[in-house]
Amino acid sequence: MIVTEQAREQTRARYPDEEGYVEREGVRIFWERYGEGERTITFLPTWNIIHSRCWKAQVPYLARHFRVVTFDPRGNGKSSRPETGYALEDYHRDALSVLDAAGVQRTVVVGFSDGTYPAITLAALAPELVEGVVLIGAEAESENPEEFWHRRDGSEGWDKFNAVYWLEHYEEFLGWFFAQVSSEPHSTKQIEDSVGWGLDTTPEILVANEREFERRITLLLARVRCPVLAIHGLEDTVVEPEHGISLARELGAPIVLLEGSGHGPQMRDPVKVNGLLQEFVESGPSPEPRVRTWTRAASRCRRALYVSSPIGLGHARRDVAIAKELRKLHPDLQIDWLAQHPVTAVLEAEGERIHPASAELANESGHIESESAEHDLHVFQAWRRMDEILVANFMLFHDVVRDDPYDLWIGDEAWEVDYYLHENPELKSAAYVWLTDFVGWLPMADGGEREAFLTADYNAEMIEHIARFPRVRDQAIFVGNPEDVVSEPFGPELPRIRDWTEQHYDFAGYVTGFEPVADRERLRAELGYSPGEQVCIVTVGGSGVGGQLLRRVIDAYPPAKELVPELRMIVVAGPRIDPATLPEEDGLEVRSYVHDLYRHLAACDLAVVQGGLTTAMELTANGRPFLYFPLRHHFEQNFHVRHRLERYGAGRRMDFDEATPDVIALAIAEEIGREVDYLPVETDGAARAAARIAELL
Amino acid sequence: MTVAERVREQTRARYPDEEGYVERDGVRVFWESYGEGKPTVMLLPTWSIVHSRVWKLQIPYLARRCRVVTFDPRGNGKSDRPLEASAYDEHELAADALTVLDATETERAVLVSLSLGAHRALLLAARHPNRVAGAVFICPSVPLALRPGDQFSYDFEEPLGAYHGWAKVNRHYWLVDFRGFLEFFFSQMFTEPHSTKQIEDCVGWGLETTPEVLIATAYAAQVKKDQARALSSQIACPVLVLQGTEDAIEGSARGMALAQATGGRLVLLEGSGHGPHARDPARVNLLIREFVESLS
Repeated sequence: MIVTEQAREQTRARYPDEEGYVEREGVRIFWERYGEGERTITFLPTWNIIHSRCWKAQVPYLARHFRVVTFDPRGNGKSSRPETGYALEDYHRDALSVLDAAGVQRTVVVGFSDGTYPAITLAALAPELVEGVVLIGAEAESENPEEFWHRRDGSEGWDKFNAVYWLEHYEEFLGWFFAQVSSEPHSTKQIEDSVGWGLDTTPEILVANEREFERRITLLLARVRCPVLAIHGLEDTVVEPEHGISLARELGAPIVLLEGSGHGPQMRDPVKVNGLLQEFVESGPSPEPRVRTWTRAASRCRRALYVSSPIGLGHARRDVAIAKELRKLHPDLQIDWLAQHPVTAVLEAEGERIHPASAELANESGHIESESAEHDLHVFQAWRRMDEILVANFMLFHDVVRDDPYDLWIGDEAWEVDYYLHENPELKSAAYVWLTDFVGWLPMADGGEREAFLTADYNAEMIEHIARFPRVRDQAIFVGNPEDVVSEPFGPELPRIRDWTEQHYDFAGYVTGFEPVADRERLRAELGYSPGEQVCIVTVGGSGVGGQLLRRVIDAYPPAKELVPELRMIVVAGPRIDPATLPEEDGLEVRSYVHDLYRHLAACDLAVVQGGLTTAMELTANGRPFLYFPLRHHFEQNFHVRHRLERYGAGRRMDFDEATPDVIALAIAEEIGREVDYLPVETDGAARAAARIAELL
Repeated sequence: MTVAERVREQTRARYPDEEGYVERDGVRVFWESYGEGKPTVMLLPTWSIVHSRVWKLQIPYLARRCRVVTFDPRGNGKSDRPLEASAYDEHELAADALTVLDATETERAVLVSLSLGAHRALLLAARHPNRVAGAVFICPSVPLALRPGDQFSYDFEEPLGAYHGWAKVNRHYWLVDFRGFLEFFFSQMFTEPHSTKQIEDCVGWGLETTPEVLIATAYAAQVKKDQARALSSQIACPVLVLQGTEDAIEGSARGMALAQATGGRLVLLEGSGHGPHARDPARVNLLIREFVESLS
């Protein structure tokens, strides 16, 4: 046997405030007390192969909050090393004596591995003393097989768990055993420490301990009445997690499963375990859920949470395109979506993972519809009147990311996330990317001074947010180019929107979410549009606000058909308008939701649309003529989108108030099939956006 | 007097699962209940100048885990608007709360109160300890300390030559320019920059009642200083006080004094005014949740 000189103990982070010995039948047990808190937490010794220093990563932190008691097991540390006297009852009585000597009347006890046996005996037999139990890597019973006592042929793996081997190869055994205990990669220090503590005793003591220590507490479980928390590493090969799980179940106790952790998570993942202990002593176990899992950082796959604005369908397609590009750069990336209808319809069709909490989001698009009148949406006021929904959805987001750590949050016009992160920057716990296609609230002329004041106030708050907490947005990506940004000021004495945006954003170019159509004739054939037809698609996107426009254009169908006899008009109601509520006309086709609508738009001879950015830009990218009708009071459509389309030279803007069916019919006749000369729309926007986002992973 | 047309209520993030009225001495009080969890959190009414929508940023979040019960104070919302001062006696408001607890079959609740609602919460927590599991006071208006300035210090009864600042707390002014009073009062409640929406909301709720109702409340019996002290010392349940340091209506000394008198915990919200639940909802929601969870 090799007896190494005991290494000088390394400097402690905290030294005991009191220490002493208790003596029972000639055996001295060394104990320590730290801190002065009202409540006490006692770290029981485990198997005497190690001693109380195995709690060194816990003691200093918990002593900041509580009184902490530790003691060395008989057979190791500064306690005696008797030849016999290692029954469970001895450990149990040692604990009682130490607690008595330390003046502890009530305590939470923590047991690790073999220490969980006395933890249970104390809780069951001294209930007045024990107010709670934490079990780490626990089991309810275990017995050495007969072979344990006899020399084995081999010494591979668990064959080393053998009395003869211990006596002859003690240090090898220690090195092997503690590599099993701390099986996580990069655990050299934990293994070295444990081996060192093992060398503080002798294999003879360990063998003596095995002769007497009976590992069986099943009969006592029913007598445990105090709160219990179990913690178990899912990679524990010393005591497999099934044992901890079934023990917790028998005790009716919650269990925290540590994914990627071995047998001694308090050594290898002290921050997590310390937090669990502190929380347990402070407030008891949270009863639900019964099983919680925490995954070690190194064992986590890369995950992103994508929050996609539900107002309009436009964001869905571009977000899916960006997500696909992002996966090309990080094939291991798992993306969860926090989104609601109608975005989820697109996501489901694309086979994307929708986070189950999405179902609990308060409905934003329904609110926007409820705020709209006939072809009229005062989008700024509608957004303000959504404050309750935005807070509720932010709090839901916060619950999701608090329970479930992501590497990255992506918010495409996720206003609630962006606003409340700037209001509560301490809640940011992942990299965060903000995407938008417009910057700046702008007042409508008929809103008067009050609206001008309000929009400027909102802009000012946003500018202050970014200036004060630049760390909140790790990337701010503008979906477009600098010239797409309006040049107006944010408000009196505020910067110009384009100047400020150029300073605070990266520009991805526009993201259409599709490849431009190469062979339009073939696509028309595929979609069933014959060469002689003049196809006019009428769509209002995904919102329910467009019913009035659809009706107006349907009224324009008969005169338009007279002017253009080859006209084939297809009205797409979208997911939120019931086609049955629309008037019927002979020859007019009305459809509900159309997947891949963009292909139909690419194939058509004319489109009639609202003033929303996405659809208008799809048409621009495919070089199709279109009429667009900005919603009244919709500052984004009236200023931002209009500005962008004018830059591209795209589309013919119509005024809903002046557009009678005859006016619309005439415009259809003039525009349908016309050759256009738009600025080209970039096709690499999604890839560029993804490249910027990928830098954060 | 300007009576603005009542604005259509904006879309809620969550609608009640149950609602109803209780009636005491001919006064009907409207209540709502949300969610199924435990425990029950009762969001108490404050001064009848606003109603239960003042809790709109708390309800959806708390109801994800707890059962949330709230009610409109007599004098506003969907509750009746008696005009006698005696109807607004603090004991009546506390009795309304108990009746709502009964109607919703709530044995015990965690109380959350704002400003004047502290009076009801004190009465309930001290006199009905078996019904109250804990109490959160947000910027409590309890007379345990002086207000820092001239708030509520002008003559309420007599017409004044001019109605600047807190002189607007005057029955004659209220009858002439109720909106002017509301706009002033709520600009004092939300002193944080960029609080337009919070102020507009509260003014809108204020316009749902009348100056006559508020005049009646001004003569109602409130909890006085000695009684507040006595009630505070009787409270056995855990207490949390949230107090804005920039509270321009009550100052911060009252919240601090209440925390001390009840032995409760105090969280100072630095930079916050008198309505942190509305201006910093994320933080206040998390603080309430944490308090509620610590009781179980």
